[in-house]
This record gives sequence, C-alpha cells and structure tokens, in this order.
Amino acid sequence: MASDSSSASSSSDEEEESAGQKPNVDVNINSIDNSLDAIENQLSSIALNTPIDERTLPSTDYHQEPVSEIDDGSSRESASEMRRNSIGESSSSRGSGLWRNNLGVEVEVEPEADGELSSPSSSGYAGERGSSSSPTSACGTDVVRELRDNGSSIGDDGVVPLDPSQTQWIRGKQHADEDDGSISWRKRKKHFFVLSHSGKPIYSRYGDEHKLAGFSATLQAIISFVENGGDRVKLVRAGNHQVVFLVKGPIYLVCISCTEEPYESLRGQLELLYGQMILILTRSIDKCFEKNSKFDMTPLLGGTDAVFSSLIHSFSWNPATFLHAYTCLPLAYTTRQTASAILQDVADTGVLFAILMCKNKVISLVGLQKASLHPDDMLLLANFVITSESFSPICLPRYNSMAFLYAYVHYLDVDTIQIEAVLAKSNVLNEVERSLSEGGMRIEDLPVDPSANSGSLFHLTHRKTPTNGTVTGVGGPAGLWHFIYRSIYLDQYVSSEFASPISHPHQQKRLYRAYQRLYASMHDKGVGPHKTQFRRDENYVLLCWVTQDFELYAAFDPLADKGVAIRICNRVCQWVKDVENEIFLLGATPFSW
Amino acid sequence: MGLSSAAITTSSEALKFCIFDLRRGQHEGEELEKILFFFPADLPFPAQLSVIGLSEGLITFTRIFSPEAACEVIEAELHSHVFFEAEPDIWMVMVVAKSKETEAIWRIEALRSVLKEIHSLFIMFHGSIRVLLDKEPGGGLTRSHLFTFIMDYLNDFLMGNKFVLPNFRDSLKQRGTVQMLTVGREAAIEVQSLVGALDSCMGHTSGYSVILFQDLLVSTTLTPDDTTNLFSYATSRLTPRVLSSGGSSTWSYLRKGNAELASRSANIGSGLDGFRIVRPLQHGKWSKGKDGFLVTDIWGVEVGNLVPTTPTLWLQQTEHKMYLCAYQHKSLTIILLIPVTSMLNGEEGISMLKQQLLENASAKIVKVEEKLAKGWGGENAYHVKGYRYLLVDGDRNISRASPPGKVTTLTKESLLAINKVREDVDLEKSRGNGNNDEKDLEICIRAKNNAWVIARSTRGKELYIVLEKANETLLYASEAIEKFSDRYCNGAFSLD
Repeated sequence: MASDSSSASSSSDEEEESAGQKPNVDVNINSIDNSLDAIENQLSSIALNTPIDERTLPSTDYHQEPVSEIDDGSSRESASEMRRNSIGESSSSRGSGLWRNNLGVEVEVEPEADGELSSPSSSGYAGERGSSSSPTSACGTDVVRELRDNGSSIGDDGVVPLDPSQTQWIRGKQHADEDDGSISWRKRKKHFFVLSHSGKPIYSRYGDEHKLAGFSATLQAIISFVENGGDRVKLVRAGNHQVVFLVKGPIYLVCISCTEEPYESLRGQLELLYGQMILILTRSIDKCFEKNSKFDMTPLLGGTDAVFSSLIHSFSWNPATFLHAYTCLPLAYTTRQTASAILQDVADTGVLFAILMCKNKVISLVGLQKASLHPDDMLLLANFVITSESFSPICLPRYNSMAFLYAYVHYLDVDTIQIEAVLAKSNVLNEVERSLSEGGMRIEDLPVDPSANSGSLFHLTHRKTPTNGTVTGVGGPAGLWHFIYRSIYLDQYVSSEFASPISHPHQQKRLYRAYQRLYASMHDKGVGPHKTQFRRDENYVLLCWVTQDFELYAAFDPLADKGVAIRICNRVCQWVKDVENEIFLLGATPFSW
Repeated sequence: MGLSSAAITTSSEALKFCIFDLRRGQHEGEELEKILFFFPADLPFPAQLSVIGLSEGLITFTRIFSPEAACEVIEAELHSHVFFEAEPDIWMVMVVAKSKETEAIWRIEALRSVLKEIHSLFIMFHGSIRVLLDKEPGGGLTRSHLFTFIMDYLNDFLMGNKFVLPNFRDSLKQRGTVQMLTVGREAAIEVQSLVGALDSCMGHTSGYSVILFQDLLVSTTLTPDDTTNLFSYATSRLTPRVLSSGGSSTWSYLRKGNAELASRSANIGSGLDGFRIVRPLQHGKWSKGKDGFLVTDIWGVEVGNLVPTTPTLWLQQTEHKMYLCAYQHKSLTIILLIPVTSMLNGEEGISMLKQQLLENASAKIVKVEEKLAKGWGGENAYHVKGYRYLLVDGDRNISRASPPGKVTTLTKESLLAINKVREDVDLEKSRGNGNNDEKDLEICIRAKNNAWVIARSTRGKELYIVLEKANETLLYASEAIEKFSDRYCNGAFSLD
C-alpha cells in the first residue's frame, strides 16, 4: 500500500512540474486569441452572478437573520455538542458494560442514541451505522485493522468535543437546499469545494453539488485562466476572505474562508481533503479522467458526505490536522505494553499495520519493520473509520472492469473475538476507560516545585474522577491556559486538557486557530523554522519554542508576565519528560519516513 | 530607440501594470475602452485584455462572498497581482514576477503603497481620473495623462533596464509617510517665527507653507494628506539632494524612449496629439534660479518673454487649485501654496509675492537654516546603536527609521524575517476592521540566524526592530525594546 501510493504521488509531482514549466510567454500570447472566446465564456459565467449579487447588496434583510443562520453553524455545532454531552453523561454509568458488547449488542445501543439525536436531516447513511468493531479492509490486499470503540457511549469528558465526528456523522450534509444564489450560503464562513478539471462539481461542504454546477464552472475558469497564462493560482484575498486553490492532477480543490486561518493551514486542509478522497477511491481515479475528461465522480463518493464533513469539522478542533503528528491516550506504561503485545500477536499473521485507537487517540500501534504509517494517513484512516462503515471500493473485473463497486467487509473470525476477549481480560479496556474519564494532562496538576518528579499521571492522590463527566480546571499557574507539546522524533503530540478560561468550544476553536497561525509563522517556508516566538494580542500570550527534539506551544492569560511564563514553559517540558512513557507510545515501531 | 524598446521588453516580464475602468467597454467588441493605462504599452492587446479580464473576473467573483471588499491580491506560483481600487470602479492592478534569485520577494502592502502613491500624486497634479474621463469621454486625454505621468514615476524604480520595486530589503521603510526633523526648543521658536513671516508674505490669500531641511520635514500648515503628497513630491524632485544629482545618466536615454512611447500613447487615444501634457514628474526639469527660487518649464513658458509658467496643483480635501512656489537656501526648502483664485493678476501676483518673501523673510530663512544645520547630526543622525528599526505613527502619517546605510548591514535572513513579520502585522491590521487603534500586538521572534525580529503595535503606532547581536533570552530582547520605547518613543510601547 505504502509503495503504491508513493509512486503514484511522485508521478503526480512530475505532472505538476511539467505543467508548471510551460514556456509562459509563448503559450500566453499564442493561446490568447484562441482562448479569448473561452475566456469570454468563462468570465461571463462569472458575470452571471452579478445581477444576483447586486440584488443582495442593498438588501438589509440578512443582517436581521439570526446569527446562527449565517454563522458557519458553529453555534449549532456547539448546541449539538451539548446535546451529545448530556447523552454522554447519562450513558457513562453503563460504559463498562458496553465494552463487552462490541459485536453483539450494538443494535441495542444505537437505537437509543439515534432516538435522541437523529433529526429529519440525517442522511440514510446514518441509519447504517452499526458495528462498533470492524476490521477494515482498505485499499487492495493489505489489511489495516482497526479496533474502534463505540465512542459516543463511553463516558465523555464533557468539555472537549472529544468525538465531534459523531455529531457530524449524524447530521450528514448540512444545508443541502442552498446554492450560490442563497444569501445564507454566501455568508458561510468556510466553504470547501472539490471539482473536476472540466468544472464538474464533486463535493461541496454546503449546498447541493448539482445546483452549484455554474459556480463550479467559474472556479474551473479561474484556475484554467491562470494556467493558460503559464502560472498556477494559489490564493486570492479579498477583505477578510481568502480563496485557496489546490490542483491535484484532474482534481481541483478550493476553500473559501473568512476564518482568519493562514494560507498554509487552509492549503494543508485541502491536501487532507484530497487525501481523504484518495483513501476512499485510490489514485486510479485519475485514469477515469484520462479516459473521459467529463467523467462524473459524484456517484463514486455517494454516501461519503459524512466522512468529509467530519474531516472538515476536525480542522477546527484536532491539532493533528496541522501538526502532522498523532496523539496517544494516556495510559500506564505497562498497560500500553500489554496492548502492544496483543496487537503484536495480530501483526504476526502478516498484517502491515495494526492500530488500536480510542476515538482519535492511539492506544497502540504496531507495524512491519519497513513499513511506515504517516500521521496524516492515520488521521484520515481514523476519520474514515469513525464516520463510516468499512466500505471499500473494489472492482469486479468480470462484472464490469471499468466500474468501482463498494464492498462491505466485516470479518467475524476467531481472531476478532480473541482480541476482544484478550483485551477485556488483560484489563486494558478498564484502563482505557479510566484514562478517558480522568482526562490527560491537566495544567492545574503542573508540578510547581521544579525538583518534584511527578512520575506518573495516574498516582496523584488529589486526582479525582469527575462525577458529572466534566473535567474543568481553573487554569494553571501564572495564567497558563493550555499547551501542546510535539515530540519530533516520535511524530506524536500531547495536548493538555482545557481549563476554564477556554472551556467553551468557541474559545477552544479560537485557540486552535491561534495555534495554527503560530505554527504557520514558525514553520514559514521562506525564512523558517524560527526558534522562539512570543506573541501577545488581546486574547492570549502565546509562547512557542522549537528545538530539534520538540516543539512547545503554550497559551497564557494575555496579562501573563513574560518571565514567569517562560519559567512555566520550562516546567511543562520537564513534566512532559517525567510522564512521557504514559503519554507517548515509545519505541514501538521504527518509523522511517 | 532600439535600446529603449529592448529595455522595456526585458522589464515587461517582471512587471505589468494596468489601470482600467469597469464602467467602460461593457459591450462586446468594446473591451479595449476599459483600458486607461497599460505597461508595457507594446504588449499585444489580447494579452492586455487577458490581464484585465482576469482581474475583472476576480473582482466580480470575490464580491459574491465579500461585497464590501473585493479582490485585493492574487498569489500565483510565479506572480503576485496586487489590486487597488483607486476610485469607484477604477482599478489599478500591478503584476510582479516572483523570484528568489533576483530577490523579487514582495510585501503586498508595500507594493500597494506604490499604487496609492501614484494615484494620490496624480490627483494632486491632474485631479481625479473620473473627472478627467467625464470631461472627455473618449478617454484619450486621460490615457495620455496617465501614461506620461506613470512612466515618469516608474523611472524612479528603473535601475539599468530593470525595475527595482520595493522588496524585502525595504522592510524598514514606510512609503507614503513623512520623515520629520527633530528640532530643539530654540530652533522651534525660530521656525515658528519664520512660518509667521511666510504667512504674512502671502497676506490675505490663505495660502499654506511647508518647510523642509534636507529631505526632512520641519514645518507644515497643510493637512496631513496634502503634506504627505507634497512631501513625497518635494523629496523626489525639489530638495537639494535631488537637484544636485539631477542630470545623472541612468535614466536619460530611457526618458527619451518613454517620451517616444508617450507620444505613441497619445496617438492610441482619439487623435488628440494636439494638446499639451504637463509632466510634473519629469526628471531634471527643476533647477535653482539666481534669486533662490526653484524654476521649471514643466508647466510651459509664457509666450514672448520665456518666463516659465508657475506650477499649479490641487489640494486633496478642499479641491482648491494652488500655485506652487518653492524657494531654496542651502539645505532649506520652502514651499508656498497660494490659491489660484485669490491671485487675480496671476503671474504678476506671484512675482510680487516672491519679492515680498525676499524682502521680509530671507533674514529669518538664513537664521533658521543656520540653526538647523548646526543642530543636524548628518545622515546617521537617527541611528540608534545596536538597533535597526522603523517607527510608524499611523495617525500622524509619520515614520522614522534607521538610516538606509545601516539597514544594509543586516543579513538577508533577518530582512526576510522582518518582512514576514510585517506581512503578519498587515494581515492583523486588515482584520481589525475599524477598531485598529485598539489593536495591541506584540510579536518577538528569534529567527533561524539567532536575530531577534520584533513588532509592536499599539494605539495606531507601530514599531519594528531587528536585533542581530543580542543575547539569546527573550527577556533580554524585551528589555531592549522597553529601553528603546522609553528613550525614543516617549514610552508608547512600554508595558507599564
């Protein structure tokens, strides 16, 4: 699998380069006459929007719309998160029982959840959510196995939208009735579009793809217009809006956003979106476009809306989407070793990778010596598995050698049952549950005395299991609000739990965006990476420290004292080192990318 | 001719620059009507239309999502397209090639400030583009004016046959701001008294005076906007430094080429070659007369007696037409602006005014010049040891920076890093939307090369500093900023 994808991607690089190396002047001038008509057509399709635009301009109606209508649904997101949290609370008491029921009892679990959550808008796809443990057969003969807990029914930490994919999934596609003529559509904060190089819509975050055909053609016109001039458009900025373009062979991806995220982050998100699509369809999709440039890809992605909306949602809560690292569920070292040993047994049977995950957090991961799993691939895989059934695109040559089919694969073999039984017996599941309910690194537990080695996250006497499913701290010493520590050689990060000054999902989203900007600034392609950055604005004091071994991102109260903040950052680094065998997966597999 | 056209062709790959009017050429086949200015002018029309078509398309497209602020920049792999809506529906678009090798690394706001400067200077001398277009709907008049004006302006950026636009090496400069001379108390009183004397010379005409020492502003009675425009004109065409380097050779043959192009452009219009185009930015046209007044024949010569016509310009806010009268004594340049309407007897009145100035103010002028020259620390007067800085006061449109000679000692890495930080602050400011004054921002970066690159922004003031030889701790860097702020910014950036 790994070699396949790498060779495919290198060939695309070549394509891109050769396209970029067109002798620009000649092409430009010679093709102008020919393309002028085309430009007329292309730009007239842009102009088509003008009357609508003018009509909406003087209108004041939309100013009176409730904010939730025009806000990108974030308030709605938080509302549904709250709903979900309340479910988490009510069901956490019976959490342990559910662990045993991975295979058989899910039917009992789901109706309850569905009864609470499903709305008229939920897609038919939601009804199919079924198995909670599904070895996934993805992409060809290599088997990637994934054991997935049934996230929604386990005790929730109540503060962090730990499993937002679940809500997304249930919701499915939002606002499908909108199109580019709708004011509400135009006011959405973040659009994502995927289209083919012939201008056919493939995916749109909001609105009905078919109704957006004209808009899609406009995007295509802009991209090819610049391409005809021997260049490649990357970004258009207008006021608070950014339009970011990414061309991947025959597939064009566009993000239109007013979220103040830096260009590099938005581009990275488009890369992930493309990666998700390739994860589902493989690069052989390019061949379809070679055969027929007007090829319509939408049917192939039918029913996968939830995968994409979940991924897009994760862009605003999951640091893995910009850190290019994964995170582990905090566990006692021995527990993780036990889990690894169990996985290793599975791996012996010729499996390329085996990952045991809890929501988006890794419990253990084993792989073949030479194989490497990139954190971005893990992110995409986890997102796919969490949001959807294990559907794999396959082709049945005798049926139709040109057609993709979906195969639903679920091995109810002896192995599956054994793993589960072993995990249960070995106490791993109990430990996982404990870790989930106790939370990870809480900044108020930061050892203030530099000489004190806390040693373990799990033996602090004053730690108490929250009774109501919420872990809300009061903030750390010296105004510390939050931190993310990324270990460079492990490709892993650990993120502290959120303290009260940023307990609301809105505040968390804002902090993630601030981290994103900080990350982009530190890793600037032209001048980076920088070594240290201190940044103070009306919202935070942010400190970033990049060394060869690790990167630390810390957020403080905006009034925090510089000197004290630096001392606290040193403490955080020490603390992370003290407990690293519980928060990181150490020395499991040599990664070689 | 051969030489100059070769020069223009070489530079055309690096720079395209157009001005177009969205209200014109709405019908098919009339698209050329939109184009008011295009550089390089010899680019085939279809290629010109393709630049304008893309710009127009994206203006329309971005308005779908951002009706209040349309397209500002297109970043492509090889080019940046910088947009500026100079007047409603009249757009200026500059397309610059990017290249690491040729140091073509840009800060968009720095390029946009070039566009803004071109437009405000154009308005100062010719009035608004829309008014010109309304006066002569054919557009020939406007096109000729824009062409000669902008070509004369762009000449300032021409090095050999290459345009050198403000790039990352100019990160510690702020175009469109005024640099002030710091004067002591005693000198300030003298200056005040001189301003009074100048006022009385102008009598009841309600004129304005601007005084410069070298390339620095000493005093102004104009509004900030008009001061900025006049200041940038004076420091590029009138001050002693400019006059002494006046006839240098770098631009002379190119000027000839442009003159040819200019006349061609007039032909492009509606055959209006007959009318005279005033070229206020033409090089080497100003000189100092025996009486100390600066003279130029840019505005023509009176028939018969060969006396040059007094230059005129427009004030931005009041839209009054003013006579410009400049007097120079050693390093001191004095500019008087007198309303045309109050000078009933025209040129005659101007020479009377000049006479009055010589009689009533020249003693004061000599005294002020002496005082200022004595207190003047030379070109490195505002150098602060160990610091490379830029201080901008956005409210008053004033900036002060390390002398250029000192900035060039910085490494390329440091300059690139401060360029990035400035971009960052530009973005933050544009996000502020209205409450910019409240924006309080502090960025301290230790770059790869161990230099500290620092930006502070508070209450409309911005401070950028590069410290290359500083200690490694953040606290040390912060302390250095505090010291600088206390000493040179009246504590504007101090934390307590």
